[in-house]
Amino acid sequence: MSTALEALFAGRIYESGSAMRRTTLRHTHLADPPLGIAIWRLGGERFRAAAIAWGPLGGPFELAVAGEPRNRDLYFAALAPFAADLCLRVRRAAESKVARRRGQRTDLIPAGALQIVVPNRTTVAALGLLGRYLAYLSDRSGVAPDPALIEAGKHLRFYARHARMPGQALLLPLDRLVAEHWATLLSPFEQSNLAALDAQIEPPAGTHAFDASVAAEGLARIGPEPTEDIDRATDALLAEFNAARAGSTDPAVAEGLSRPLRDHYRRLVEPVWQLMARVVTREQRIPAAPSVHRRFEGDREAFGRHVDWVADGGRYRTTDTPRQAAMSLRRLEDALGRYDAEKAVEDMACMVPYLLDGDAVRGVVVSVNEHRVVVRVRAVPRALMTLDTDDPVVLPVNKKVWWTVTADDYPWEVQRVQPHGHGSRITLMLGASPTPARLPGAGDRVTLSALHTRPDAYRLSPPQQPPWTHRPATPPTPPEPIDSGDAEAPAAPVDGATLPDPGRYA
Amino acid sequence: MGRQHRSRRRGRPAKGALMSRRHIRPDPGAGIALEHVRGRAPTIRPNVRRLAAFASVHSCPTAVVAFAARVDTNRVLAGTAAEMPYGQSPFAIGRGIAFEALLRRHGHAELRRVLTDGLGVDFSLAAIENLREGYQPNRTGLTLRASVTRTRMAEIASAPAEPIVLDGAVLRADIGGLPAFFEADEMAIGVGGEIIVGENKSWPVVDGRPTDEEALGAALDQAATYVLLGRRTLGEAGVDPGRVSGNAVLVTPRNTGLAPVLHRQNVDGRVRRVERLLRAVPEVSDIAAAIPLSVTFDRIADVSLPEEARFEAFAEVTDTLGRVYEPASCLTSCGFAWACRQCVFGAGDPAIAGGPVARALPGVASLGRVAELGRGAPASAAEAPAAVPIARAGRLYDEVMPASRPGDRRSA
Repeated sequence: MSTALEALFAGRIYESGSAMRRTTLRHTHLADPPLGIAIWRLGGERFRAAAIAWGPLGGPFELAVAGEPRNRDLYFAALAPFAADLCLRVRRAAESKVARRRGQRTDLIPAGALQIVVPNRTTVAALGLLGRYLAYLSDRSGVAPDPALIEAGKHLRFYARHARMPGQALLLPLDRLVAEHWATLLSPFEQSNLAALDAQIEPPAGTHAFDASVAAEGLARIGPEPTEDIDRATDALLAEFNAARAGSTDPAVAEGLSRPLRDHYRRLVEPVWQLMARVVTREQRIPAAPSVHRRFEGDREAFGRHVDWVADGGRYRTTDTPRQAAMSLRRLEDALGRYDAEKAVEDMACMVPYLLDGDAVRGVVVSVNEHRVVVRVRAVPRALMTLDTDDPVVLPVNKKVWWTVTADDYPWEVQRVQPHGHGSRITLMLGASPTPARLPGAGDRVTLSALHTRPDAYRLSPPQQPPWTHRPATPPTPPEPIDSGDAEAPAAPVDGATLPDPGRYA
Repeated sequence: MGRQHRSRRRGRPAKGALMSRRHIRPDPGAGIALEHVRGRAPTIRPNVRRLAAFASVHSCPTAVVAFAARVDTNRVLAGTAAEMPYGQSPFAIGRGIAFEALLRRHGHAELRRVLTDGLGVDFSLAAIENLREGYQPNRTGLTLRASVTRTRMAEIASAPAEPIVLDGAVLRADIGGLPAFFEADEMAIGVGGEIIVGENKSWPVVDGRPTDEEALGAALDQAATYVLLGRRTLGEAGVDPGRVSGNAVLVTPRNTGLAPVLHRQNVDGRVRRVERLLRAVPEVSDIAAAIPLSVTFDRIADVSLPEEARFEAFAEVTDTLGRVYEPASCLTSCGFAWACRQCVFGAGDPAIAGGPVARALPGVASLGRVAELGRGAPASAAEAPAAVPIARAGRLYDEVMPASRPGDRRSA
């Protein structure tokens, strides 16, 4: 992030009254339509989705409302249609496979993958917790839980874990999608409110983006965590529902009695659903960057592996081993570096921060000549490029930079930097034999940066047995159910106004 | 804008001057002055969460004055559009109360079990003194509880016998020269000669990881405050303060139910941070002496006034005292944040975009001016350091997005 660019954005948004694009392209795959999911929990209850709305975005949504989500029977009965539909959609998406060739190896990967979009990152975490809960359910009184719940739990857990991967598009929090592609007057904390982001991008006519987002922030209720006013209303309706069902856990009884609660949550979901659809439609209009296909191919590959694993009855660790943790971290860092590089290389708007921060140079090619240069012991052909930059640059000798056109190939090495006019004259040498594809022509306007898009890989695979310094005192426990306490009697709600210090329970 | 900058300069030296005079008891005049500042604004007793919130905004002169005057910033703007949603779900509160009740049920049976399992010391026969019961819920009660806490801590730390648990221990501290009481959930005394501070939280831990990492950080900060105050209490009693362990205890539910589990975590780093924070809290008497007579939160909190009048009163107070708006910390910690944000936006203050952007614009008066510099407008001498990169950013951005040139301003 370049602070100069951020300052420019702030100044211009303040002046013009609406948000600005950070990118000229869309760097995230968007299905048409993706599956939307919006959830609401009961306050403080991390595992209880009081309402789940789902369906292809742009169309109507299905709504599952348990009535009393803290009752296991009612909760699972309400979740069952959602779970069954999710499992069906996942399996259907993984059915059709295509051959993917990589070097000498050919793999079969799914032709598509189910893309889920959610309003915000908090929903991603909420779905991950719900998945953890459902993926390993224990039997109750000899009755096994609905297998669809368990399978859906494994899918949700996979999706939430995969969402950590930079550039992935399987589970897309829309607040992140929008914040990556638009500059607004909102701070990172405020950007977690999708309604505020949307209001800054398309404020009502005659209204400044700031005023529009302030109004949206005050009115919008996004979920999954309810505000006090929402749960006050829920509390009253839930009390009526529990009194009317008189301890019954018959889903048919609950279905009949839960209408007021369903209406309550439908009123909450509807604006969120419209907001999500509007955001996705707007972003779909932006052309996708070329690398979006490659990244989604990686998503499809991971999706296919997951579906095969689940179909074979596979279980996932719930705590990584040290080796897994190290490899995951490396994979995430690698993906982040490559995602940033691909964005900048393909989209000049994303290169601007690197140009401002001195990690990239832009200028006109004065000449490109071939020379024979002694590298180690042999004289080999090398290309020398002279570049006149628009602005003065500070680059150390021997610094490696990649031409954006060949960012997945060999770098150029800085040989000399001299002041020249208002900018600098740089001499660079290509680190490989010159070929026409590797060389710009004289007079071309080119950009070189420290970013490259080659995939990094382990030079050495980490040892199967980690050294003693990295061995935990006790090995990670195998996956276990976490539902032992879900039959406890629900806690009675308490009005904060009746307590001297309600903040104690925040 | 200029008015705001001038007022900010007026506010800051006053705060700096305050910090040099430590440990001076406030004169009676200070109380009267702060009462005038408070007016009819709702008040709040200092507690560990209030202190943590203040830690995030202590560089703001308005926040400093509100803290010194014990003004409840979350409720001053109640009923206006700038009232921030700090209320809590009744289900979340109910869960917290149910978890505490579970720990205390049947003679603290669950608390004994979890302490025994987690600390490796048998608490099944430990004496548990519940200081939440039998004392008046007022300042007198708190004073008595603080006295009992101090006595028990000193007794047991000097001659450790059987473990004792103080449920609802109260620690006294001087905050800005005024006494304040802090209520800890547990103090387990006599564990291998140590005193261990405990904090109960009702968010669950799954697979050894918290389901809310921000809440974990806040809980550890609270525990660190109790460790620091516990050490000070022992020190005042002439007992080795090192008896209070730097390893605090968190008791949380495990998995989907409320079954408690204990976690130990070293908070020494956080203790040092809290110590620095307490040192930075300015003396109330100095603040009282430095506040202009015109400053009062009375009109801001007056619900009988129209909203515009309350906002005007707020703007006047913050313009006089000075404000430091930093979205990342203010929006999570201060009830004035939305109102300050409105003032900052109205003034075109670069602070609206956050600290890093504001700090990158030395000498640039407003966001409107930033936009002009981005179009290549000539810079003044004061603006020159910031103007060059902004002009370059504008040129580069316009080069790649030719249609990006700003249109007509709508209405700022």
